[in-house]
Amino acid sequence: MSLFSLFQISGSALNAERQRAEVATSNLANAETTRTAEGGPYKRHMLTFNSQPASQFHLLLADSLGGGNTPPRGGVRVGSVVEDNTPPLQRYEPGHPDADADGYVSYPAINPVQEMVDLMGAERSYELNASAVQAAKQMIQQSLQILK
Amino acid sequence: MAIDFSSPGLRILPAELPQAAATPAESSAEGTFGETLKEAVGNVENLGLDAHYKVASLLQGGGADVHDAMIAVEKADLSFQLMLQVRNKVVQAYQQIAGMQF
Amino acid sequence: MSLLDNPVIAALSRALDLTAQRQVLLTQNVANIDTPGYHARDIDFGQELQRALSSAEDEQGDQDEAGRPALVREVPGLVERPDGNNVNIDRESLLMGQNQLQFQTDVALLRSEFSRLQEAIQGGSTQ
Repeated sequence: MSLFSLFQISGSALNAERQRAEVATSNLANAETTRTAEGGPYKRHMLTFNSQPASQFHLLLADSLGGGNTPPRGGVRVGSVVEDNTPPLQRYEPGHPDADADGYVSYPAINPVQEMVDLMGAERSYELNASAVQAAKQMIQQSLQILK
Repeated sequence: MAIDFSSPGLRILPAELPQAAATPAESSAEGTFGETLKEAVGNVENLGLDAHYKVASLLQGGGADVHDAMIAVEKADLSFQLMLQVRNKVVQAYQQIAGMQF
Repeated sequence: MSLLDNPVIAALSRALDLTAQRQVLLTQNVANIDTPGYHARDIDFGQELQRALSSAEDEQGDQDEAGRPALVREVPGLVERPDGNNVNIDRESLLMGQNQLQFQTDVALLRSEFSRLQEAIQGGSTQ
């Protein structure tokens, strides 16, 4: 089981969490955007995380072979970035330039509190994975100590 | 002492060693040293090859782990040193005997 | 040469392998802390180490055991959150710290064992 694979695993997580933070920030920034290039209010973006396959089958196979030369990947990656299709919030603002015939303006269905929580979660996870990288680096350096 | 440069490990061919096997008085002592030396040489080669393999697979990125390679190298190194010490003793013993004046 | 086929070195070497394997699993768990449906995995470190020590004492040490990775299973007793993920951040951080320390200790012990052998070999050189 190679310690060098740790950099790849943690690296994938750092990348994924960063994207999560980006999406949350983008949602926050556009919480009041009523008009976009496609027309209509900004649509909240969400992303999905998928773990890179480390299936039970793979584990069993490696175990039964005994050699176990191919460790399961086990990192994470962003599955997809999708738009949230929750209907937009309607607010009655007849004087607004983007008001429709009945005087309602469509605002993005974004809850700033939720986005903040998401952002903080992404940050915390990012830090964790960054310290996992440090841990891996330390362990490899320590193994060099075996040779004095 | 013939040294074979073609192989990965430094080999001292044991066949070249016992020139002192002439006198019966030495042959019993030589048997012990000779055997130990042969064993040491065999070990050096095995451990050397193992270390070589592990370091190579480490460099190729992913097979062996760093600590595996380090341990293999250290073991090879120690067994080589051991063999050298045994060889030195054998040579010393031979020289002492050869230097005796009657 | 029995000098170098020493059970201490074999046991420490195996311990390092296990610790490294565990580190990979812990890192994977941390990487997937936000992945829906992911369940934390680990090896039974104590048990594997025990096996390594007992097979090292046994002179006919089972050579097959030496290279094999330990069995990986899901960690029992964790609580699953609504998205199906059951990775416990505190558990993973704690174990990672412990694991690093384990590695460091084993390296130091191995180092001292090698030094001891070195001294034993060099010891008779000045005559």
